[in-house]
Amino acid sequence: MGQKSGANDKGTEEDGMSVHSPCKPSSSALRKELSPVDLEIRLLEALETYPLSKLSGMHRHFVLYSLTEYLQRSFNRQFTPDDVLQLLDRFYNLEMMKPDDEDAEILNQEEDFCLPQSYFLKEES
Amino acid sequence: MLYGFIQIDTMTTYTKDFELLDPVKFPKGKKRKADSGTEKGNVSAEKLVKIQIPSTLKKQLVDDWEFITQQNKLVKLPRSPTVDDILTKYLEYRSKKDGMMTDSVGEILNGIRCYFDKALPVILLYKKERQQYHEAVSDNVSPSSVYGAEHLLRLFVKLPELLAYVKIEEETLIRLQQKLLDFLRFLQKNQGTFFLSAYDGPKASEGSGKDKES
Repeated sequence: MGQKSGANDKGTEEDGMSVHSPCKPSSSALRKELSPVDLEIRLLEALETYPLSKLSGMHRHFVLYSLTEYLQRSFNRQFTPDDVLQLLDRFYNLEMMKPDDEDAEILNQEEDFCLPQSYFLKEES
Repeated sequence: MLYGFIQIDTMTTYTKDFELLDPVKFPKGKKRKADSGTEKGNVSAEKLVKIQIPSTLKKQLVDDWEFITQQNKLVKLPRSPTVDDILTKYLEYRSKKDGMMTDSVGEILNGIRCYFDKALPVILLYKKERQQYHEAVSDNVSPSSVYGAEHLLRLFVKLPELLAYVKIEEETLIRLQQKLLDFLRFLQKNQGTFFLSAYDGPKASEGSGKDKES
């Protein structure tokens, strides 16, 4: 699996991971340095919080952003949203995803815009 | 007011918490899927992200309210800059500041645009603007290419509710909040050029002629 030890910058959960160099922003970093198993495990973990179904509705950009942040924190390295999409694509067929039904809920009903009362009160902020 | 989703364990969600929430948007009996929180075994309370709108922009929203609901005026469409323009300008501004690593910002901006296009006709218009909307936006036209800062700002009033559906973990929510605030400060910095200081008055012919719905 190409795991290397030693030269770890940080002493945290670095099992099975090699850190050649400080954070590389490019996605080639994914192939070289992270074990596929770790990636998949973290991804599955992340998907418990951010289900795949939400990746095809109107919230998909914020879901993807959140997944990216999650993985960045888990591995302590940079990921781009595109990296994450590539990863997901490796393991899942995203095109098959049906949007979450709850997605449409807040926008089911037309509602006139209403500025909350607090805006009309004089505030020090 | 804080809205809380409390998830204690992976198998049950406490639907009684919905009592805290607007019954229209969060109807009782609609059970959420059992998704586990990231803090396993702990109580994780997911709150609405607080978006602190700068005071001059709050005033802008009050003026906006005044023009439309009290003075029967409308924003002249199409706007320039449009929502698309503004988001693009912001990305350029951030790219200059940050160098690379603007990918996440770009994703957030895409998210904002996506929300704007979906939400505008549904929850971002005053009643008096609906007719204008139908005239200005046809089927294959995106609201973000027609409307501008005035309506974009209204999205930020609603944004916490929209984001609640994503159930973002606290750490990420804090970072997102910072990025959204930075965007708002950008709007504030460019308030003079992005926002209209005057809206179009009602037509000279008083009465029924060109009367918009009131």
